[in-house]
Amino acid sequence: MDFELTDEQQLIREAVREFAESEVAPIAAEVDRDHRFPSELVPRMAELNIMGMPYPEKFGGAGADNVSYMIAAEELARACATTSVILLAHASLATYPVYKFGTDAQHERYLHDMASGRRLGAFALTEPGAGTDAGAGTTTATLKGDEYVLNGSKIFITNAPFAEIYIVFAKTDPAQGTRGMSAFIVEKDTPGFSVGEAEHKLGIRGSSTPPLYFADCHIPRDALLGGEGDGFKIAMQTLDGGRIGIAAQAVGIAQAALDAATAYAKERVQFGKPIGALQAIQWMIADMATQLDAARLLTYRAAWCEDQGRPYGTEGAMAKLFASETATRVCDRAIQIHGGYGYTESYPVERNYRDAKITELYEGTSEVQRMVIARSYLR
Amino acid sequence: MRIVVAYKWTCDPEEATARADGTVDWSRAKPGLSTYDPVAMELARHLAEQAGAELIGVTVGGKGVGAPIASKAVLGRGLDRVVIVEDESLREAGRSELAAVLAEAIRHIGDVDLVITGDSSVDVAAKMVPTVLAGELGWPAVAEVAAVTGQAGALRVERAIPGGVQVLEISGPAVLAASADAAVPRVPGMKELLAAAKKPVELLELAALKVPQQNAVMTVVDRARPERKARKGQLIDTADPAAAAAELVAALRAAGAL
Amino acid sequence: MSVNAWIVVADQPTVGNLVTVARSLGGPVAAVVAGPRSVAETVANSGVDKVVWCHAPDDAPPEASAQAVADTVAADPPRVVLAGRNPGERVLLGAAAARLKAAVLTGVRSVSLDGDTTTVVNAVFGDISDETVAVSGPVALLLDGGSVPPHAGSSAPIEEITVAPLGLKVIETRTHGFEKVDLNSAHRVIGVGRGVKAQEDLAMVEELAQALEAEIACSRPVAEGLNWMGKDRYIGSSGAHIAPQLYLAVGISGQLQHMVGVTGAETIVGINTDANAALFSQTDYGLVGDLYQLVPAITAALK
Repeated sequence: MDFELTDEQQLIREAVREFAESEVAPIAAEVDRDHRFPSELVPRMAELNIMGMPYPEKFGGAGADNVSYMIAAEELARACATTSVILLAHASLATYPVYKFGTDAQHERYLHDMASGRRLGAFALTEPGAGTDAGAGTTTATLKGDEYVLNGSKIFITNAPFAEIYIVFAKTDPAQGTRGMSAFIVEKDTPGFSVGEAEHKLGIRGSSTPPLYFADCHIPRDALLGGEGDGFKIAMQTLDGGRIGIAAQAVGIAQAALDAATAYAKERVQFGKPIGALQAIQWMIADMATQLDAARLLTYRAAWCEDQGRPYGTEGAMAKLFASETATRVCDRAIQIHGGYGYTESYPVERNYRDAKITELYEGTSEVQRMVIARSYLR
Repeated sequence: MRIVVAYKWTCDPEEATARADGTVDWSRAKPGLSTYDPVAMELARHLAEQAGAELIGVTVGGKGVGAPIASKAVLGRGLDRVVIVEDESLREAGRSELAAVLAEAIRHIGDVDLVITGDSSVDVAAKMVPTVLAGELGWPAVAEVAAVTGQAGALRVERAIPGGVQVLEISGPAVLAASADAAVPRVPGMKELLAAAKKPVELLELAALKVPQQNAVMTVVDRARPERKARKGQLIDTADPAAAAAELVAALRAAGAL
Repeated sequence: MSVNAWIVVADQPTVGNLVTVARSLGGPVAAVVAGPRSVAETVANSGVDKVVWCHAPDDAPPEASAQAVADTVAADPPRVVLAGRNPGERVLLGAAAARLKAAVLTGVRSVSLDGDTTTVVNAVFGDISDETVAVSGPVALLLDGGSVPPHAGSSAPIEEITVAPLGLKVIETRTHGFEKVDLNSAHRVIGVGRGVKAQEDLAMVEELAQALEAEIACSRPVAEGLNWMGKDRYIGSSGAHIAPQLYLAVGISGQLQHMVGVTGAETIVGINTDANAALFSQTDYGLVGDLYQLVPAITAALK
């Protein structure tokens, strides 16, 4: 068993880190403070072929493996959790369904633009009444002649309104519950489709997550992705892979917090020596580092399973569950190590702490992850 | 135009520690591309984009400089191929010996119009290998190069001088050492890095190059940690800036520093 | 005369330290100059035994005489060739070293001759270790050149050689408007770091410099990144190494890459708001506080 990254994976880490440190980290505090979507980073990431890393080159992607993609997401998150989720929502949630379930015509029309990063994507599943109970959505898609008509609303949609391409889940047959859900590709500026007010959040403040409103929104028949009734399956399969990305984001956030905490422990002098000389602090660092390392290994293992063509649903859930809870814990300890200073905006750990929490919530709460894992053991 | 970029794959002394007996512990250091070499590659790429050029990376050193990851790191930064002389006998080689081997490798490549190097290596930082190399080749050398434009046989070089910048015209092949801030190296793209493994790598045998022998032999006979002047470490209370200033001036006068 | 030590000079006569070291080795000391005649004349008055002046066309930079310098040194091969840490000198020294197939050492702390062996104490790897190196055969050494040497009494003869320059010539010179400085000859130096927030604030530092009769220098980011001063004012591992009587670090964090340039200072004073800054483990007098209050206060206290 080989725990070494390949040469390419190491070089990818270094390159994305270089980009993250020189172009992302310097604006991270401002992005957070001003709740600003860093739109200037999207074309830059596209230039570096980061926006569609795991997709084949012939479709505009970089042709990288999933482990490399997770490494990139982690390095970006270490600099700025917002930037990382912009990438993940676009590449894992919006581009994946088009790649996996799209027709040749849909590939032609959308996939190259998305995998290359030329056009940003978003994934619209969640509704005010349908979060964990994703099948309870009430947005409908009614077939009328050669068009579907969408009515309803979505909430917390990452990358709206900056995205141009939206994967929207709606009930073509509400009576069928989850089996009546279908997926659609909806373009920005389609009449009847509007984006609501920005949501102010605890963390990932630069990530734009407004509601979407569909009021008699007519879309062409061929906007249907997959078959009628396939929507729930498409959503769940997409989220299976997406959650590995969130695990990577959590690992990156935790790494930033650990880096800050160790630097502070070495510099902060109290009682005549650096606080890193105190066993209480040493044990905190030891626990943080161990849990973070475990979270990273789980994340890479899940991505590796996907690369090997093996099932990765349970592995992804384990990675996301453990990494997200680790991130919250590590960030909490990082503030503790900083003492009072950690509570101020002068140090980055308060932002890491606020950013970490979302990883326990989106793309399936920790409770959902536990359901997925338990199901595979108690089948 | 054929441009050689001479690079170094080595460890950063920041990751090394000096033991009490003066020997250096490199065990925790991981080798990488020397810090300023990407600046040289950026200058080369920029020139190649303007004038059209083949970019060839060349390195010489001990075992490890020919590791696949080293070549990929360089080929992922826009170079077309690399030529490597990897020989354990070169691990402890001095600047002159390395320059002499580089010169032979460059002669082997043939028809080279320009050699660009970084400002200095991250570990030794001698700033001499490019100039000795130029001496070996009989070519002009210029250091602190901020920009290079033009084409083979008519290169325009901007270099820093005290008080400003000088522009030189060079009519033949030359060795240029890029200043550390000559350019901000572009971040390698994902596709570039993944394509690096497919580009050509040529390994040259040191013995086959028939490098002429050096006239001097160096032997390290002793090592020690450098003596650091002990500092007083006195802290002056600054609650009242005027009082602090007065205390400082008085202390400096008493110590004969003013 | 069989030259024991050659000193290689480009277009600045800052060779005081080189002459001292060369003379300490005993034996005849010669210098080869690839720069204006005035530089050759200053060097001829510095205590060397002879000077060879490379007379190249006016538009030839010193580098164009590199092969002529190599020829000159090789014609009378020495034990030791010395040069100062300037780009032009490094090129000339490199050419000489290649011609002699000499060893090259660049962190020279001391040199001595011991029979057939030249012993050099050489700092390596960013000054974390000193190696004592025994060299048999010729060796080329890079050291701090020192300042312009004072007139040493008699004047050495100057032999003029006409140089066929290598194919490079100066076609334009642009000054950046920064005043030139010789930090090596300043008794007191104030170093400015990124703790100084705006370029206009340098005026406050200049007032202190006047009161202290000090030169102003800086850390690397201030010269290269911010471009507030010429690069010849930056002190650090690949910048100037100085040993003044007094070094006052203002708003500098005290990282190794900068402080290695002032380890020889007699007295170091530091001002920084961060009590945990690395600076304060390297100062004789440390003031943890706001430089915007302390710098004017010190200026006032000096008057």
